[in-house]
Amino acid sequence: MGRLSFKALTIFMAFLFTLLLFIAIATLFFVPSPSEILEALKSEEMAYSLRLSLITASTATLLVILVGIPVGYALSRFDFPGRSAVKSILDLPMAFPELVLGLALLLFFGKTYVGGVLSDIGLKIVFTKLGIIVAQFFTAFPYTVRIIYAAFEEVNLRYELVARSLGYSEFETFMKVTLPMAKNGLFASTIISFARSMGAFGAVLILAGGSYMDTEILPITLYLNISYGNIGMAISSGIVLVIVSFLAILLFERLEGGGHNVVRG
Amino acid sequence: MLEVENLCIDLGDFHLRDISLSVEEGDYLTIIGPTGAGKSVLLEAIAGFYPLLSGRIFLDSRDVTHEPPERRGISIVYQDYMLFPHMTVFDNIAFGLRKKDLPKEEIKREVKYIARELRVDHILHRKPGTLSGGEQQRVALARALVIKPKILLMDEPFSALDDKTREKLRSLVREVIAEHGTTVIHVTHDFEDVFVLAKHVAVMREGRIIQFGTPEEVFSRPQCEFVADFTGTNLLRGKIVGERNNLTMVKVGSTILYTVDKAEGNVTLSLRPEEVILASEPSKCSAQNVVPVTVESMERRGYHVWLSLSSDDFSFRAVVTPNTVVLLGIKPRRRFYALFKASTLKVIK
Repeated sequence: MGRLSFKALTIFMAFLFTLLLFIAIATLFFVPSPSEILEALKSEEMAYSLRLSLITASTATLLVILVGIPVGYALSRFDFPGRSAVKSILDLPMAFPELVLGLALLLFFGKTYVGGVLSDIGLKIVFTKLGIIVAQFFTAFPYTVRIIYAAFEEVNLRYELVARSLGYSEFETFMKVTLPMAKNGLFASTIISFARSMGAFGAVLILAGGSYMDTEILPITLYLNISYGNIGMAISSGIVLVIVSFLAILLFERLEGGGHNVVRG
Repeated sequence: MLEVENLCIDLGDFHLRDISLSVEEGDYLTIIGPTGAGKSVLLEAIAGFYPLLSGRIFLDSRDVTHEPPERRGISIVYQDYMLFPHMTVFDNIAFGLRKKDLPKEEIKREVKYIARELRVDHILHRKPGTLSGGEQQRVALARALVIKPKILLMDEPFSALDDKTREKLRSLVREVIAEHGTTVIHVTHDFEDVFVLAKHVAVMREGRIIQFGTPEEVFSRPQCEFVADFTGTNLLRGKIVGERNNLTMVKVGSTILYTVDKAEGNVTLSLRPEEVILASEPSKCSAQNVVPVTVESMERRGYHVWLSLSSDDFSFRAVVTPNTVVLLGIKPRRRFYALFKASTLKVIK
């Protein structure tokens, strides 16, 4: 009897919470009038913001994956001095409030020698569109590396040893065996990276400035319009954000195709 | 030919200490030993997967100690197959050949040839995930053999298979290895592999090789109690008391036993449990040693039943088939006669 009612209670909680979440998301779509949303979607500001969001988030994702793959592989496969320190420091931004991460980046690129040198060679990061990408990169990186690391951990080292014994170098083995076998995890990490980049707000606001029609990405649009009292515009940017993330997931799952039945051993 | 000289490895959890080993071309070496003895580490060190602390490895007189695995020409087969799941059976087998820049037609021919030998030619288009364990291991063997390795390493290749499949694959391996003349090092915990396949056997314990020889030598003349115990060999202690009809008489307690070996003084004797025959009466037969025994306990292990026997002076173990147990009505506390030939009782020191 006790077991039964406990089971019922947990299932009830699961449904209750899911219902709350669902209603909250649905509200986003149904509270504003359709004409208001349509108007907002057609605005120049929204087009600009959406375009900038897609470009910066895609670029940031590409960079995150390019850097994340070697980092995740090194952490998964090699035992090197300082390995655990590297792991802990990489995880730090997850525990950081995004605003503080943005502040740290702002000080680093704005107030240090390194930032000065970068600026001198033309890489101006503070209060620029490049800054958006940098802020998105640092926001998404820790989450992405975790998934990439886990994906490589799933691939038994012995597959690599077999490939080596059959004549393939370390790099060839990585390209022909490890990478294809970690494919699912890499797809997942791409989705996470893109979603984190699209939604990055605090760090972007501090490092890139969040100025109207300049460094304005969708979360900034939402924030700016809420501040002005443009509720329709704010809600529309929220809806666009949700739709873009949803489409990204669909697209990636489509690309991933039938890869879900990968045998692990 | 492989020569390992004073090899030492420290992997934290596993150590190899001062391993020296020589494997002739066409040899079949099995490595046995308890879990954690370092058997797999030794295999993988020979393949070149671990840095050595010290020691050298020679392959056909060439020093390969610092060669990476891909330049050694040593292939490996694992217990859990390790077939690349994203490739078909054909592509798995062809994997090593593709690295050799051979013409496509030749790769196809070689793959088909080895696939036919290992009876996987009907599943070349399939993905490994859809195959049975026995099929997967045959594909793994084909993949390892097709590159004509200087040495084939096998790490408990049959242990994930059921008894019937294991037996079939074992005889298939014996055929194919003989056909190719491949040099093999095979780690196993199944003595059947040693008896059916091996020309030599090495016993490992705590990172060292403690005995090396032919299966016959190692199993009937264990050099220490550990090897005797591990291989299930009975050890008896006695004293040589004379000679009769060209046989040496040994006194074990108050029992006189006969051996063909010549020795003097106090000796240790070994007796393989499968050499012991049980009889309900002390019949006249070619066995010189007839000892009245009591069955102390019995335990079924796979196809065999292990009996603990005790005579007035010593106890030892014997292996019989379940059939014999029924036929003779073997039960604990019952008395029988243990018979064994003088040639099976060996003086080991």
